[in-house]
Amino acid sequence: MKIPMQWIGAYTPISLEPQAYMDRMIMCGDGVEGYENLGAEVENVVVGRVLTCEPHPDSDHLHVTTVDVGEGEPLQIVCGAPNCEAGILVPVAKVGARLPGGVKIKKGKLRGVASEGMLCSSDELGVPVELYPSVGAAGLLIFQEDYPLGADVRPILGIDDTVMDFEVLANRPDCLSVWGVARETAVACGSTFHKPEISVKECGGDIHDYVQVEVRDPDLCPRYVARVIKDVRVGPSPMWLRKYLHGAGMRSINNVVDITNFVMLETGHPMHAFDLDMVEGRHIIVRRAVEGEHITTLDGKAHALTPGQLVICDASKPSCVAGIMGGEESEITEKTHTMMFECAVFDRASTRVTSRALGIRTESSGRFEKGVSVRTAMEAMDRACQLINELDAGDVVSGVIDLYPDPAKEQVVAGSCKRIAQRTGVDIPPEEIERILSALYFDVKREGDALTAVVPEFRQDVEGEADLSEEVLRIYGYDKIPSTLLRGETTPGGRNDRMRLKDDLAGQLQGMGYYEIMNFSFLSPKDIEKLNLPAGDERLQPLQIRNPLGEDTSVMRSTLAPGMLKTLALNMNHGNETARLYEAAAVFDPLHPTDEGLPTETQILCLGVYGKEEDFYTLRGAMEQLLRHRGIAFQIVPGGESYHHPGRCARLMQGETVLCTLGEVHPAVRENFDMPARALIAEMNLETIAALSQPMGAVKPMPRYPAVSRDLSLVMPERTSVGPLMADMAKAAGAILEDVKLFDVYRSAALGADMKSVAFAFVFRGADRTLTEQEITAAMDKILKAAADKHGAVIRS
Amino acid sequence: MNMKEQIAQIRAHVTEEMRALDGTQALESLRVKVLGKKGELTALLRSMGQLTPEERPQAGQLINQAREEFTALLDEKLREFKAIEQEAALRREAIDVTQPCALPPRGSAHPITLCMNEMVDCFTGMGFEVVEGPEVELDHYNFELMNIPKNHPARDAQDTFYIDDNVVLRTHTSPMQARTMLTRKPPIRVICPGRVYRADEVDASHSPVFHQMEGLVIDKDVTMADLRGTLNAFAERLYGKGITTRFRPSFFPFTEPSTEVDLTCAACHGKGCRVCKGTGWIEVLGGGMVNPKVLEMCGIDSSVYSGFAFGIGLERIAMQRYSVPDMRLLYEGDLRFLGQFR
Repeated sequence: MKIPMQWIGAYTPISLEPQAYMDRMIMCGDGVEGYENLGAEVENVVVGRVLTCEPHPDSDHLHVTTVDVGEGEPLQIVCGAPNCEAGILVPVAKVGARLPGGVKIKKGKLRGVASEGMLCSSDELGVPVELYPSVGAAGLLIFQEDYPLGADVRPILGIDDTVMDFEVLANRPDCLSVWGVARETAVACGSTFHKPEISVKECGGDIHDYVQVEVRDPDLCPRYVARVIKDVRVGPSPMWLRKYLHGAGMRSINNVVDITNFVMLETGHPMHAFDLDMVEGRHIIVRRAVEGEHITTLDGKAHALTPGQLVICDASKPSCVAGIMGGEESEITEKTHTMMFECAVFDRASTRVTSRALGIRTESSGRFEKGVSVRTAMEAMDRACQLINELDAGDVVSGVIDLYPDPAKEQVVAGSCKRIAQRTGVDIPPEEIERILSALYFDVKREGDALTAVVPEFRQDVEGEADLSEEVLRIYGYDKIPSTLLRGETTPGGRNDRMRLKDDLAGQLQGMGYYEIMNFSFLSPKDIEKLNLPAGDERLQPLQIRNPLGEDTSVMRSTLAPGMLKTLALNMNHGNETARLYEAAAVFDPLHPTDEGLPTETQILCLGVYGKEEDFYTLRGAMEQLLRHRGIAFQIVPGGESYHHPGRCARLMQGETVLCTLGEVHPAVRENFDMPARALIAEMNLETIAALSQPMGAVKPMPRYPAVSRDLSLVMPERTSVGPLMADMAKAAGAILEDVKLFDVYRSAALGADMKSVAFAFVFRGADRTLTEQEITAAMDKILKAAADKHGAVIRS
Repeated sequence: MNMKEQIAQIRAHVTEEMRALDGTQALESLRVKVLGKKGELTALLRSMGQLTPEERPQAGQLINQAREEFTALLDEKLREFKAIEQEAALRREAIDVTQPCALPPRGSAHPITLCMNEMVDCFTGMGFEVVEGPEVELDHYNFELMNIPKNHPARDAQDTFYIDDNVVLRTHTSPMQARTMLTRKPPIRVICPGRVYRADEVDASHSPVFHQMEGLVIDKDVTMADLRGTLNAFAERLYGKGITTRFRPSFFPFTEPSTEVDLTCAACHGKGCRVCKGTGWIEVLGGGMVNPKVLEMCGIDSSVYSGFAFGIGLERIAMQRYSVPDMRLLYEGDLRFLGQFR
């Protein structure tokens, strides 16, 4: 909320400079975003009178003037404004003056005639027309009252103030007002807050002869205060009022509207003015809208109302959306003769819901949403009527309508000074607690440690002892909080299992050259479709977000694959030659909810790679190493996902449990994701990995007997898999086989088109003896037999 | 010629020949010629038969002395030759050490993870335990138990992603605090790191998905001073000696009193610079004493126990630490960005 400092200063003296004031307020819990000196860019511009105004000898539109700025000889100034004439009082930028936009005025010549300054328009001074009436950019700003020659124009034009931009905390709606901020200022700066004396001069008559008010839904409108003004005299507002409104960021409209805005800003109570002649039956009814009702708000927009939305109606139809925006029909105009001021309190939630539904947010609705004090409504109404008197904008009819069926009770908080202080960690003496709370307008009674505090009527956020702790501490000083470390019973602490597993695998992957990525948890359903999953795949039914930012982020991901593929594509398209990436994150499954009814969240590790060095085997190698690292035994089973190349994919399994799927990305899917090059992807369910991980056991003894190596080259059909062959050969060799490695795969015309040669290195070793030549030969024979019988692999001759 | 003279003669030509030696091979030939089985000195030894028994011991001694002398001379020369030859070999084998080499693969955790790990280390060292919970959360835990009742502005659909009326994408990791309080007895010291969601459009400083780490301590006699001490320890651990905290009053529905916490600007050590906009402080986190209402709703007797809670945005920490100009870089996965981290 923007408030000019002079407005605050009218109720509480401020002796601090703006920066120091801002710092002080921030440290007391009254946030300030910053401040702006309204006239900072205007310097050395004074009031001057045009003495003479003659045509320029060499121009058809310029004038040569002499101007009295109250010092010595009149200045000769060349001016091009069409409304320039002798006798007028204008702002004069003297030589050396500064104007908005970094303009500097220098002595100069215009078409051969010397000019010692510039006569200014309101635009050149940055003064909007509603702040000081003028002809705008087309001509000079002409002062309408008499001011001493040579006087600084800034106070006259209302740009001599500094505007503070307060960032009011959600629990302090009372500070969305000048009085609220002035009250806080007084406590923060150790000064006193003076509220103006409020009195209303009534002109006789009886309000009840003018209007009838009925609140049918008091649950949404706990208080409704009304007063009637007759013989309304709509006109411009005085300078002081225009200036305050301008500083607060509002435009001056006319005296009546300005009063309602002024009172809202000053007291925090939104007000509304109805042209009573436009209120059918002069009957005001506060009620929920019913089916089929409409309203055109004063911004000219038509709205269909939903039953339940609170409206202010006349005898037949809605005339105002309660607390949000008035209707076009009963708006105050130049012709308004009799009007009614409304100062009501509307329900927070109801205002919020209706404001959202209609898409209207106003200063008024914002305040009602945050909470307006029900107890101070009458004061605000009287302040408005007092201003009607002062501005002579009409005559206040005698009597008030105040529909307040269930007056709010005084709120009292009881507490212990010891506990109030203890929570803060600062040793604040009880006397100090009492002093601070009293300064904050609490009515405090203390007997020793026991304290009762009556909460001031404008505060709605103080409910318990903890709130008193905060009130006391923020004034006593947050900077006085000492620094102590935790004491008491110790707790073991540490990472949880899930984080340890993630860290462990991440460490392995980083050593293998993988970089971690983090994708959004959102996807577009289209991203999932790009995987070409078979119809009925559950991943095609992801968790829907009811209010997504857009279609492309409308579901929670049921798989990490689309995100990984998109990231691979991005890297390819950004010219990165190779990539090894991983992401560990949750996928969401709404089809199998938890006991709490939440979607099942499963942590998945997804790897994606591409580049010259990468193929199916490098990625499978990485996955195998992860499984070995976790002590998990596995088998390799061909086959995979729809988005894998059908001939280059596999599952690593333990029995029936899939540990991991991996494969080259299917060309059709690659195209879907705009990937120019081949890539590979693997996925691993971390919860399965956690469950099957085996702890590191005892180490094996170091071998005591020598190893014997044998190489073997076999010729076998191209389509026969090496994996099962190796498994069978190992089985046939028995316990003395320590290791077998594939070291060559070779194809040639001599072998035949459908044949390949594979070469293995076997290592034999006895645990308890040196193996004999016969034992090894026997093992090799068994190996050969298994290879030939089961796999059609024969020794290469 | 007596023995002495003969030896002197040999010595003379050995000395002479050694001068002309050009390598180990020539040296070994000389060794054979003089000391070998058919060498000159060996011949001299054999010739001792012609001497009288009285002359023999002295002659034998002379020959042995000569053998030792020549062996030492030749060995010394051999060492010299070997050193020279090795030096030559080393020179030959010299490589261009500035030539680029093949790099073994190197990877890295994501900057958010790097920051998170450091923070987790810091707090686990102080006895905090990591707890994690669901990202799709019940409204009850995310809002109700955090003292944010229905129709509270903080629950605005503009800020919160809803699945249905009762299920939201958690807007903070606080629901895990509630779950912890409901299932454990004090003393509680936990941190809850994780992904959270707010309905913000993506731009340089906003993201609908981001990461938080919250901390919660519940015990007897916990105060704001303990919060400050804990966060001071964290600040020093993360940013180095001399970094401290500044508390500013604030408001959160789940804490009372509440505070914004600024840390000494690590770039200028509080002197004021461009990073901290001249203030010397960087706004980093929020916290406060757990609102007694929250304690009671979570089944903890607020007349016996008190506690503090705090929440830190990891993106902000990472962006400040690595001067990341645009939040989108964190989620794009471009290796030109990620490849810089270590």
